Amino acid sequence: MMKKFGLALCAAAALSSAPRAQPPAGYAADLGRSRLEFVGTQEGAPFKGTFHQFNAAVDFAPETPANARIDVQIDMKSVDTMDQDRDGTIRGADVFDVAHFPTAHYVTRSVTRTAAGYSAVGALTLHGVTKDVPIAFKFTPTTGGATLEGSAKLKRLDFGVGQGDWKRTDQIADEVNVAFALTLKPR
Amino acid sequence: MPNDPSAARYTGVAQFFHWLIAVLVVTQFVLARWALSLPLGSHKLALLARHKSVGMTVLMLAILRLAWRLAHRPPALPANMTRFERVAARATHIAFYVLLFAMPLTGWMMSSAKAYSVSWFGFFTWPDLIGKNEAAFNLLRTTHDTMSALLFAVAILHILAALKHHFWNRDTVLLRMLPFTKSPR
Repeated sequence: MMKKFGLALCAAAALSSAPRAQPPAGYAADLGRSRLEFVGTQEGAPFKGTFHQFNAAVDFAPETPANARIDVQIDMKSVDTMDQDRDGTIRGADVFDVAHFPTAHYVTRSVTRTAAGYSAVGALTLHGVTKDVPIAFKFTPTTGGATLEGSAKLKRLDFGVGQGDWKRTDQIADEVNVAFALTLKPR
Repeated sequence: MPNDPSAARYTGVAQFFHWLIAVLVVTQFVLARWALSLPLGSHKLALLARHKSVGMTVLMLAILRLAWRLAHRPPALPANMTRFERVAARATHIAFYVLLFAMPLTGWMMSSAKAYSVSWFGFFTWPDLIGKNEAAFNLLRTTHDTMSALLFAVAILHILAALKHHFWNRDTVLLRMLPFTKSPR
């Protein structure tokens, strides 16, 4: 009787500690089915930019967000705002300056669960400047992978994006919204 | 001729639409020329944004003005005008109404085709009329440019005709559209 009870206790303990022991699964973004974009404001009108080239490595288990890690490398010259003139300006020395800063990097430092999903704080290195940027996202397991969807807000001038003429926030708003919807596959 | 119907003046509403739109159209030419003279940069984009906001204002005024015009008959033309002069006057006025719609509409479509949405002085953003399309943009730009030259020519004709009426025919055609004046009987 005592022996049986002890076994049950052991099993219960093993079960309850199972999530903590569960290592986060490693994923990578499937570029063809993932979006990473931003919306800026020029003269009061929004314009959208899409990054066609980026790498996202995601270590995530829904039950243990504390162990999660999201690491994204963005090829800045892959920016596409649907107009070559605007793309040229944005890649140029006064805005992204892709010649000197070809990649941007975002890596989370802490991930916590929220009522709506998850939130994370991570370091964004953009235009050679590193600053913390919080993101909010949802992680949804799917058959054969997962989806990661979320958004962030940042101030472009915090990163020195927009020099000279393009510093003026009455023409190009300081605040930029970022949105992402990644289709993740095990790596 | 105290009962001459051509002696009637344009109403205050008609004068308001006429002169406000005239000032805005002149502003449009100035903003467009100025923007075209600049290299791509924030100054050029700011001027073009102003050009678009003023253009959308003209479009809204043109809608109100057309609605008002359809409900109100303007003063008659002087009885001594020839048939050719009447046709020319009518054609000029119709051309103005068509261009007051066509200019802002093609401009709006140009912006949509180039993926630059149109804001109204930063207060709100108009929806895009068509999708991104570089070929459509080039065609619309040519149309917009050509129509602006036509509008310029029609405006010159209109001004010369008004001056001719005033100084040559010595009738009230110019005065009846001028605020703060009285048409002599």
